[in-house]
Order: sequence, then C-alpha cells, then structure tokens
Amino acid sequence: MSAVIETSGLGKQYRRTWALRDCTLAIPEGHVVGLVGPNGAGKTTLLRLATGMLTPTRGTITVLGQRPAAGPAQLARVGFVAQDTAVYARLTVADHLRLGAWLNPGWDDNLAQQRIGQLALDPRQRAGSLSGGQRAQLALTLAMAKRPELLLLDEPVASLDPLARREFLQGLMEAVADQRLSVVLSSHLVADLERVCDYLVVLIASRVRVAGQVSDLLASHHRLSGPRRDPGTLPAGQEVITESHTDKQSSLLVRTDGPVLDPAWAVKPVSLEDLVLAYMSRAGNDTPARRQHLGVVS
Amino acid sequence: MIRLSMLQFRIQAITAAATLAAFAILLAATGPHLASTYAADGLDSCHGSSCLSPATYFTASLARSPYGVLFLLSTGIILLAPAVIGLFWGAPLIARELETGTAALAWNQSLTRTRWLAVKLAIAGLTAMAVTEALSLMQTWWAVPISQAAADGSGAGVAQSRFSQLNFATHGITPIGYAAFAFTFGVTAGALIRRTIPAMAVTLAIFAALQVAMPLWIRPNLAPADHVAIPVSGQGNFSPAQSGPGGSTFTLFAVNIPGQPGAWLLSSGPVNAAGQPVSTTPAACASIANTGGTNTGTSQATQSGSGAPATGPAGFLACLGSHGIREAITYQPASRYWRFQATETAIYLALALALAGYCFRRLSRLS
Repeated sequence: MSAVIETSGLGKQYRRTWALRDCTLAIPEGHVVGLVGPNGAGKTTLLRLATGMLTPTRGTITVLGQRPAAGPAQLARVGFVAQDTAVYARLTVADHLRLGAWLNPGWDDNLAQQRIGQLALDPRQRAGSLSGGQRAQLALTLAMAKRPELLLLDEPVASLDPLARREFLQGLMEAVADQRLSVVLSSHLVADLERVCDYLVVLIASRVRVAGQVSDLLASHHRLSGPRRDPGTLPAGQEVITESHTDKQSSLLVRTDGPVLDPAWAVKPVSLEDLVLAYMSRAGNDTPARRQHLGVVS
Repeated sequence: MIRLSMLQFRIQAITAAATLAAFAILLAATGPHLASTYAADGLDSCHGSSCLSPATYFTASLARSPYGVLFLLSTGIILLAPAVIGLFWGAPLIARELETGTAALAWNQSLTRTRWLAVKLAIAGLTAMAVTEALSLMQTWWAVPISQAAADGSGAGVAQSRFSQLNFATHGITPIGYAAFAFTFGVTAGALIRRTIPAMAVTLAIFAALQVAMPLWIRPNLAPADHVAIPVSGQGNFSPAQSGPGGSTFTLFAVNIPGQPGAWLLSSGPVNAAGQPVSTTPAACASIANTGGTNTGTSQATQSGSGAPATGPAGFLACLGSHGIREAITYQPASRYWRFQATETAIYLALALALAGYCFRRLSRLS
C-alpha cells in the first residue's frame, strides 16, 4: 500500500503558536479519505502543507512520493479546493474554464464542460455573482478537470446550505467513481463524511487518534451497556474509548478486534459520528491542557 | 500563464490605453499652436544672445496663456503615473490574491509560483514602464518650445532648465526607473502586508518620500559637484537681500552662472577676496542701497545691462563687486545631464530588481 500523503514529525509554527506539531501519518492511496477533527486540530494546515502553499517549520511531508509543489509536473498531479472555494469574482465561468485549460497540460475540457452543463451554470456569468454552492462547484470543476491523481478538499462544504452540500458531495462521488482518484476531504461535520468516505483519519491536536477503513472501524467498535462495572476488569484486547457510569449502569464504547462474548453486556453497533465524538471527547479527558490549546490554534 | 495574465490585466490595460490616448489628443491638439506661438515670437529665427529677449517675452506670455497650466498639468500626470501604477497595479498583484483566497486557485494549477509571478511581473511591469515613458516622450515633444526658451536663457516661470526638479523627473529616462520601482515596491508591500489597502498606503508613503528625498539629498551627490567663484556685478543674475539695522548684513544668491547655461546650482553664497564667507555689508554699500530705498527684502537685479546705476539693487551689487566680494557657487554642469539621468534611472531599476528578487523568495514560502 503506497501513501498519497506521508508525513514525519511535521510541524508548522506561526510566530509563537504551532498550528500543527509533530504530525506523523500516512494516508493510503485509492480511498476517499475523511480527515476529521475539532477546529484547530491542524486539518487546514496539513492540507496546505500538502499543496505546498505552506512550507513546514519542522519535519517532512511527501505527496505522491514528491515534495509538495516541487514543480509543474507534481502540481499537475494534485488538485486542491480551498476552504473558501475562492474564484476570481470578475472573471466569468467560461473564463475560469479557459484559465484551467491554459494552465494545465492534462486539462479535460469535456469533463469541465459536462460538469458546468450538469450544474446549469451560465458560462457567461461572472463568478462573483454565483451562489456559494455554485462557486464551490466551479472550484471543484477546476480541480477535477486538471485530472489530478490526488484531490485535496479543505472543508469545501462547511459554508454551504444542506441542499448545496448534498449536491456538492454527490458531484464529488460521481466524479470519483468515474476516474481513478484518491481524495482527502477534511471536515468537522462527520455526517457529511459518512456519506462519501471509505477511510477515516481522526486528527486531534496534530495527532492521529484513529485511522482506518470506515467498515473496519465500524466493525471493531461497539457500545456496551450493562450493570455497573470497573472498565479495568474487561478482557485483554478490549480498549475503552469512553465510559460513563450511573449508580447501577455502565456504558462503554470499546474497540476490539474480536467479538464481545460477555453476556452481561448489551452490545450495539456505533455510528461513525459516535465513534469520532468518542475519540474527540477522550482526547479532552486525557489531556485537559491540550484541549484548551485547541481553542486557540486555528 | 501569459494569456491568463492578459485576461486579468485587461482592465488596467484599457485604463492605461485610455489615459495615453487622452494625453496624446490633448497634447497633439495644442502642440502645433504652442510651436507657432514660439515661432511668432521670433524664437526660431534668432541666434545666440539675441534670443534672450524674445525668450523672456515668450516665457512671460506662457504664464498668461493656458499653455503654462497645460505644462504643469501634464508634468503632474507624468509625476503621478508611477505612484498610481504602484498603488493600483503593484500593491494588489499578490495582496488581492491572498486577500480573496484566489491564491489557492492560482497556485494549484500546473505551474510553479515562480513562473506565475515572473509572467505577472513582466507583463504589468513592462507595461508600467512603457506607459510612463510614453507619457514623458509625448510631453517632451509638446514642450520643445518651452525647453528651447529655457535653453535660450529665460529661466523663469515654467521654462526651467532640464536639470530643474520637475523637468528632470518627467523627461529623459527617469520615468522608466520610477515606474519600475513604484510597481515592484507595490508588489512587495502587498506580499509582505498581505492586504491591498494598507499595501497601497505604504507604497504611496514610501514612494512619495523617496521622490522628495531624491532631488533634495541624493541626486546632488550622484557626482562630485564643481565649484566656481564669479565676480559680483550689477549685470549678472543675482538675488540680493539685506537685513539688520541699516542693512548691515546681507545675503546673496546666484541665479545662474555666466557661460554655463543650464547648470544645476546646488548652493551659492558671497565670499571675500580671501575666499571666506561674508555676511557683513561693506559700509559704503549699505548707504548706497539705503539711498536707493529698495533694500526691503529680496529684489532681483534687472538684466538691462545699460550701465550700473548708482543706486538700487544693481548699484548695490556693483558696490559689492568693487569691494572684492565674489559669489561662490557649487553646481553640476549642464553637460552631466545624461550621466545623472542614467545614474538615477539605474538606481531605481536596481531597487526594482532587488524588490522583485525578494518577491520571488518570499512567494516560495508564502501561504
């Protein structure tokens, strides 16, 4: 399994604050990867480092085996849609497609025209007068039509209304199905990711808390509820992610590769959202100092 | 990238073309009449010193005609052009991309940021230099009669030597340097400050400061100045002033140097026979001026040349001369004009290149 993004001890410092610190991860190719984490976990910084828009303060990052933005060839292999999905307000939709054609040797004009047609965008319309959803779609079209091997999307739907959000993600899914493409999509809205991602990386305070295929993660995490019990008495191989107790009852979210055999427990599957929230809240309990830190860094 | 730059540059290009066209029409419509006025005043048929009188008349008539205003207006436009370019072409070039977030779009196409910047700088920068120099050349053509009148000896009103601050900065090749510098300074300020409006403000402030500092403190020192001491007489162009009780002290400025037309006078002051600066009026001269009754402030000696009168400013000057007082002048000869033009332009171009180099380095590390 080769990695589309591989980092080692990666850090980015802005003046005194670290936006990302000591981040080591490997994102495998061939997946639609959801990069989730609380605000300030370093998602945007990581993606901007991956595009070469930022240079690391420490550590290394390789994207598709090369230094990010190493040259025109490397840039051609990576597509990026930024958080604000900015486009040139004074240029028309058609101008943007021409821009894409001029600047990308691998430009797929059929794909671009087809997407604009499906979206019912008027090519003569100025991009500044597009709605937020249309702008995001235009930015995605530009990134897709350069035919990258890796598409990086930084919270592209964060500012969209639910309908536009669904349309955007749907468009993304269709495009991904058509081309062989790895996608890394960051979001703090797990519900969005659930729909499109088959691989999940939970990034909390620059650290990868959990990573893996969504199906594996869902299969290996369970919510257990039953009579009150000390989590320390669980069998080996069952890792408690979160626990809550009342006088008589215990409720645990555990990770285990094997089945839960103890008949005292009522075992329920967990949703992806529960799973992510569990890891986030555990991070908070583990390291209260770092938790405070999260609010500061962006 | 060239095509994208042109697409994004079209508004500025149209503005520049419209400005050039308006400027050309204005000057082309009035230029021939200005030239015919010059000829009608007898200036194209005179020779040597006989030109002085018609040149003086021509210059004086400019002050009453629209041409004087037009000269100053067009000069002002040429002086302002680099600043406007720095503000509206330079400062937003990188800052607006960062501000609106379109940098993420531009820098994730299949070309490096270095190439992106190189093309942008080349297209806008070369246009900036060409537009400014075109304005300058048009006005230089239009103002030939005025420059000629100045060369014929009438250093008055708008007809100043080409070393004068306004003419030096608007004629020759200096406008190219100013445009290149103002533009790249704007780009650099935008890259550092990352916001357009503050970058524009900084660009304006720094460029204006440099344009004031250059003629006052830097340009005079671009080449070692020459020194000369000339005799004081009622026939030279001197500007005397007396002060103190009974006119006991005086100052004296030279307006030009005989035999050195068009020289740039940096400083001048009276010295005695031993070469020491003097400010005390010789007793005999103070009374001459007093009897003349014109020792109230500055009064310029006339050019009449019809013998030194015994009283008045001319008499005062003649008296100073007879007491061995000479005028020491520090100056740059007119022959150094192109050397100064080349040096100053080279300084601005070198600054522009250094700034551009810095932008490339900065951009490779920018978010």
